[in-house]
Amino acid sequence: MTNSHAVRIQNMDKYYGTFHALKGIDLSVAQGEKVVVCGPSGSGKSTLIRCINRLEEYHAGSINVFGTELDDNLDNIDEIRRETGMVFQHFNLFPHMTILENCTLAPMLVRKQSRAEAEEIAMEYLHKVKIPEQADKFPGQLSGGQQQRVAIARALCMKPKIMLFDEPTSALDPEMIAEVLDVMVKLADEGMTMICVTHEMGFARQVADRVVFMSDGEVVEQADPKTFFNAPQQERTKAFLGQILGH
Amino acid sequence: MAKTYHPPSVIEAIRADYFSTRLNSVVTVTFATFVAWAIWQLVNWGLINATFSEENKDACGHGAGGACWAVIDARWRLVLFGLYPFEEQWRSGIACVAIVITGILSCVPWFWNARRLSGLWVGGFLVFYILMRGGILGLTPVFEQNWGGLSLTIFIFATTTLLGMPLAIVFALLRRSELPWIARTMGVVIDTIRSLPLLSIMFTFAIVLPFVLPGWMIGDKLYRVIVGYALFFACYQAEIIRGGMQALSPGQEEAAKALGMGYWHRIGYIVLPQAFRNALPPTINQLVITFKETSLVVIIGFFEILASGNAAYGNADWNFAHVEVYCFVGFIYFIFVFALSRYGAHLERRMAVAQR
Repeated sequence: MTNSHAVRIQNMDKYYGTFHALKGIDLSVAQGEKVVVCGPSGSGKSTLIRCINRLEEYHAGSINVFGTELDDNLDNIDEIRRETGMVFQHFNLFPHMTILENCTLAPMLVRKQSRAEAEEIAMEYLHKVKIPEQADKFPGQLSGGQQQRVAIARALCMKPKIMLFDEPTSALDPEMIAEVLDVMVKLADEGMTMICVTHEMGFARQVADRVVFMSDGEVVEQADPKTFFNAPQQERTKAFLGQILGH
Repeated sequence: MAKTYHPPSVIEAIRADYFSTRLNSVVTVTFATFVAWAIWQLVNWGLINATFSEENKDACGHGAGGACWAVIDARWRLVLFGLYPFEEQWRSGIACVAIVITGILSCVPWFWNARRLSGLWVGGFLVFYILMRGGILGLTPVFEQNWGGLSLTIFIFATTTLLGMPLAIVFALLRRSELPWIARTMGVVIDTIRSLPLLSIMFTFAIVLPFVLPGWMIGDKLYRVIVGYALFFACYQAEIIRGGMQALSPGQEEAAKALGMGYWHRIGYIVLPQAFRNALPPTINQLVITFKETSLVVIIGFFEILASGNAAYGNADWNFAHVEVYCFVGFIYFIFVFALSRYGAHLERRMAVAQR
């Protein structure tokens, strides 16, 4: 088995009770590749990326992340979560800790870094997301855009091999979307492997190597952005693009 | 003419708040008169017409119309130390102070990690136990059935909460388990214990348990009662903590999972700190209730402070002075409970700043 893929999902099924949420998903993401997942709400995009780090359980098929099989072995789950960073729609910063503590907690506990080492790395990433001066504040004192940038920095502090973004800009006021997307573009330029669930089609055009369109729990179509936006093949894709682009 | 703003004077403010309508004026005057009368009566009884020292004891009680604080002057050692041997009561006093200091120190943030806090309390209890129990260092042994008064009350309260709080956390975590049979079993246990009266639990642990337990596990009646009380406390507190956990958004645990944090790290650093913040007001409430209900140990023959108070006026010389003794005991309860609730309010303010 080669390790050139970052994530390989094969024939994966997921149910909520009797509801068939994901149907026979096949999806591979190469190292360094940036994949944007889009589709109407309820199509299973979030569920799909939450399966990759086992925030959701899947029921059939297989998922392999950087050569580690995501099965019921708890060690494997821990291993995959250590190497996978995730950014959530609602930031999910820890409100009882300062920004710096948010960023150093997991590296100290999970990576066993010393406090000094963890703080140095944290400040480096806070610089990168352009809010080092907020390090001693609490999340509640920051704007939504700032909080989301901290959440990105927090995930990066674990030095993940892949970043999962679950609608990172959907809960933001419009004027704050750009500052978060800027950080994500920079991250992409540096070669990070990324899977982004987003409705930001500008970001998809600019950054994505591939756009994956999902509907009703299935991958309907995937293509490079140019082909995807200019010459979609499937009816459902055309209808979706018509709705979000064709005002 | 346009309105201009000028800050109201004191008299204007009072008039606006208390005398704005005829009805308001009537209510204000009526209540002010009543409060003034009540305060006057109280001062008259408690201070002006009161007898303070034991030498003037004869002036007490017989139509003088004032409080007879002489009873406290004469019997305060019985109230504070119960049946503890008279010439050894300094030990009980120091032990009591040691536990109170331990309690105050554990309110200081510097002590807020597992090692410091446990070291502090082990030390505090060791000092308390050696002083109270004696038998070493040349101290005469004093057995648990002779402990009493304020030090016994504080000892029961401290041990109950220190035993009960970790137990409550365990109960709350089990009740929230992902395995339904564990969660449901814990739910039944908690609901069962909560549905029993505290008195019957204390009785069971003090009187019934010795028939069931093997000899080496029996211990003194006092410790069995404390274990029973801690179990009772834990069941209530577990539900309080669980409530605090339910107020957390699921995203908090998900974020911790996504960062690779294991179960105990998630619980210890993310879930419990926030759950306790959310549950602070009911937790303080539960501590206050627990402190006051220590008085129930009197039914199995322990002379904690309220029972000692009963004994203090319970002889021919002083049997008219029960009100004064109860005022004294009530005042001591008040100091502890008031301090506890002020500290709770302080913590809430502190956390409000962090969580804004």
